[in-house]
Amino acid sequence: MHKPTTTSASRASRRAFLQRAGQLSLTGVAAPWALNLAAMAEASAQTASDYKALVCVFLYGANDYGNTLPPYDAASHASYLAIRGSLATARANLAATALTPSVALPGGRQMALAPELAPLKTLFDAGRMGVLLNVGTLIQPTTLAQYNAKNVPLPPKLFSHNDQQSVWQSSLPEGATSGWGGRLGDLFQSGNGKSTFTCVNVSGNAVFMSGRDAVQYQVSTAGSVALRGIQSPLYGSQACSDALRAITTAGRSHLMEAEHTRVMARAIDANTSLSAALATTPALTTAFDAANPLAAQLQMVARMIAARNALGAKRQVFFVSLGGFDLHDFLVTQHPGLLTNVGGAIKSFHDATVELGVANQVTTFTGSDFGRTLTSNGDGSDHGWGSHHFVVGGAVKGGRFHGQLPAMAVNGPDDVGQGRLLPTTSVDQLAATLATWMGVSNTNLPLVVPNIGNYSLRDLGLFGA
Amino acid sequence: MHNDILERPMPTLPPTPAAPESGGLPAEPAPPGAALTALALGSAAMLAACGGGGGGAAPAPAAPAPPAVAAISPAEASRFLGQAGFGATDAQIARVQTLGYSGWLDEQFAAPRTQGHYDWMVASGYAVTTNISNFNGTDNTLWRKLISSPDVLRQRVTLALSEIFVVSMTGLPVNWRGFVAAAYMDVLETGAFGTYRALLGEVTLSPGMGSYLNMRGNLREDAATGRVPDENYAREVLQLFSLGLTELAADGTPKNGVATDTYSQDTISGLAKVFTGWNVNAAVNTDPGYAQRPMVLTAANHSPSVKQFLGVTVAAATPGATALQTALDTIAAHPNIGPFIGRQLIQRLVSSNPSPAFVARVSAVFANNGAGVRGDLRAVIKAVLLDDEARRAPAAGDTTRGKLREPLVRFIQWARTFNLGSPTGLWNIGNVSDPSTRLGQSPLRSGSVFNFFRPGYVPPNSALGTLNLSAPEFQITNESTVVGWANWAQTFVQSGVGETRPDYTAELAIATDAAALVKRVALLLTGDALSAATLATITTAVGSISATTDAGKLNRVYAAIHLVLCAPEYLVQV
Repeated sequence: MHKPTTTSASRASRRAFLQRAGQLSLTGVAAPWALNLAAMAEASAQTASDYKALVCVFLYGANDYGNTLPPYDAASHASYLAIRGSLATARANLAATALTPSVALPGGRQMALAPELAPLKTLFDAGRMGVLLNVGTLIQPTTLAQYNAKNVPLPPKLFSHNDQQSVWQSSLPEGATSGWGGRLGDLFQSGNGKSTFTCVNVSGNAVFMSGRDAVQYQVSTAGSVALRGIQSPLYGSQACSDALRAITTAGRSHLMEAEHTRVMARAIDANTSLSAALATTPALTTAFDAANPLAAQLQMVARMIAARNALGAKRQVFFVSLGGFDLHDFLVTQHPGLLTNVGGAIKSFHDATVELGVANQVTTFTGSDFGRTLTSNGDGSDHGWGSHHFVVGGAVKGGRFHGQLPAMAVNGPDDVGQGRLLPTTSVDQLAATLATWMGVSNTNLPLVVPNIGNYSLRDLGLFGA
Repeated sequence: MHNDILERPMPTLPPTPAAPESGGLPAEPAPPGAALTALALGSAAMLAACGGGGGGAAPAPAAPAPPAVAAISPAEASRFLGQAGFGATDAQIARVQTLGYSGWLDEQFAAPRTQGHYDWMVASGYAVTTNISNFNGTDNTLWRKLISSPDVLRQRVTLALSEIFVVSMTGLPVNWRGFVAAAYMDVLETGAFGTYRALLGEVTLSPGMGSYLNMRGNLREDAATGRVPDENYAREVLQLFSLGLTELAADGTPKNGVATDTYSQDTISGLAKVFTGWNVNAAVNTDPGYAQRPMVLTAANHSPSVKQFLGVTVAAATPGATALQTALDTIAAHPNIGPFIGRQLIQRLVSSNPSPAFVARVSAVFANNGAGVRGDLRAVIKAVLLDDEARRAPAAGDTTRGKLREPLVRFIQWARTFNLGSPTGLWNIGNVSDPSTRLGQSPLRSGSVFNFFRPGYVPPNSALGTLNLSAPEFQITNESTVVGWANWAQTFVQSGVGETRPDYTAELAIATDAAALVKRVALLLTGDALSAATLATITTAVGSISATTDAGKLNRVYAAIHLVLCAPEYLVQV
């Protein structure tokens, strides 16, 4: 957040850059600021003839893994109950959502979904959902001994919400300007009919969706928003409409003014294409719960996927989110409602991809700031690290767990304290696996996941029969 | 620290007598020879305006003459009011010109307060049990004071503090939640001109913060059940309300040029024990009174353990109130607070990317107001608003200065500039959080304790990002919100919101003269910051509307205000 002091040398290059940038903005070009990086992405650009989309469902505030995927076998559940006390879900309440994976968990252990995630059990049982165990931010594979000795690089600002959201999405703490969703977009946007619709965010701005060159496009749950003042003569005057368009979109020399007019120009341009494409696309018959904010976002994603041909889209990355997971208090009263929204929204969205005939071409996955503690503070849980996440889609090797199941214990072999899990799978490995499924070549993988070279296992085997 | 004022360009003085800057405004009285006198006093005025020394008790810079307040132009006054308040009115411009910047701030510091939020809600009949689980009346009173309370500096600073010490209605699932939120805003308003330490104490024990970040009801550890203290307040008070994550030099850059963490998980665990044992005071379902009372300690629920944090050890069995005092004193004494909080106040009021020297000047005043007081927020506010970097006229080639006005401030500015009134007194403006049809933010309705936007947000894929410049307000700027603002402005400029209505009497009086009308609106809203080209474009557009009818005149006023509110030179406050 605090910028290093500028040296005089860099001030000189800054001036030179500003001159170039100024010239660019005067021409009105949507300027690719990082010219060299853009050129690199262009050189690596990948083409695709089929359609694939990746959908990130981000759970802001850090989802509580203990109650999202509680243990069900008697011994583990007894440990869970002893650790969590009043936070724990009773075993009897988990009977209906206990999972029977195609590959049994070691040691006779069994896990269940939270009762509110029953819609996801349907997907799990149908082989359409896999569960990725204990995934989190890492720089490189890290053992508990290495963590304790602090003798390997660790993710910066562990346990800090905003920074770990950023690390999860971009591999860097707050202030990062590109994320792995956006960097995927860098590779594929030239193959899309309209590059604007490569990285689409139906939530608020998220670094995940910005590439080095690819720009995230934000759309509301109701679609793109039309600038009303240019739809018909403003205050009865076409000259006023023209003035509104001119002053809000013209290139500016002040960098903040320039950024604002750039966003407005993109908004007006994208609305023209998107509203036309959506208007000619048949409505979905799959029902989405209008009262569920996550479902409303995913419904918009489904509508855009339905319009993929009209938009000329071949590869897309979408971002949606739900907030409110930072339940230091009220975990037992508030978490179930959040999970109800997660389960309902993801199930409806998957059903919509089936309706559209693209279930095998769309993969949805969850992410979150970090996991939480297993221990209770009396009414909730505190900031942790590793967590369990879901991967959904027809292409997913579903009906089973991936990764390593941590011990249900405080001070267990994967615990850095109070049930804060040291991740055994890195977000980088998840990103590389998803990128590979999207078609990113092994050579290009480091462009999307810069630290992937630190891992020998680059494909978690989440896809396939 | 005063050296840089020598680089300040001399103010361009108007010819004598001064020409009216715009229609409807009184011309600045300029007796013969005034320009010469003002010139002679110019350097003294600059010294007085630099304000690095801070509060009234600070050792005064060697000023050879009384401040020459007459040198402030209407445009300069308007620009100042955009930073220190919610924009300009004719009356406020005149007041700044009469009193000078520092004098205006002093008058505002002394301004009487209007009815508090909690009291207004009670007086307005909201304290009935049917409102125990809703926010009825809360948005109303927040808008009431933000838009109509005359103590505009206090309102502006209170809003800024509400975006640093964040409590949000989106995370208050407690009884009498609307009153808890209102009383929290009262706490910020009361503490806005006191000391940082006092404010930190009031915030910490407020039912609002207690409920939002869970210190309320936080229990001591229990080895038998494995229960541990809630860490939320301990973590966020350090990360967001005081130290931040990185050791800082006084100028806000990383101390010694390297990023060193200010605390570890062990610090959080130690501090979390301090914040145990507190709960709300005599909460009942029959009335909301507890919302106004600081939380109280139940000794049996307080951790008896040794508590270690930030180099301090609180001995086992120390009374909870003593432990809390030690903790808050320790936090408030940390050298990070001045640069960390000072820089954010600069960002809220003046500029997204203050120079390290600016931050250092504010930090120095935070450390000592000149009378040996640390954390005197009046002195800090003065240092922020009177600093040369804030007051200096924008240079033509400076393409990075200033900040994007946040949508909330834009709306309040429009409302105050055009004297928005609520005939019912209920200010039914409501929750305006919808990003594509309203503002994408609303008072006390941030999505999380991390505010609507982060101080370190860098817009990706932009020239700003390439230069690694922060632009916090761009975190809520996207294709939906930029259009949402322009569309909603079109609506509220014409119709107000709810039952509220603007007063365009002064603008209608000059509506037949498109140039004068646009110039007046540009002065009030932007401090004459519109480029000649934008001014010409808007003037031509406004002039295209016939002014032969009353409806035509109204449309001219709507067009002038709406177009200025959408102009990039307005949206970015330089």
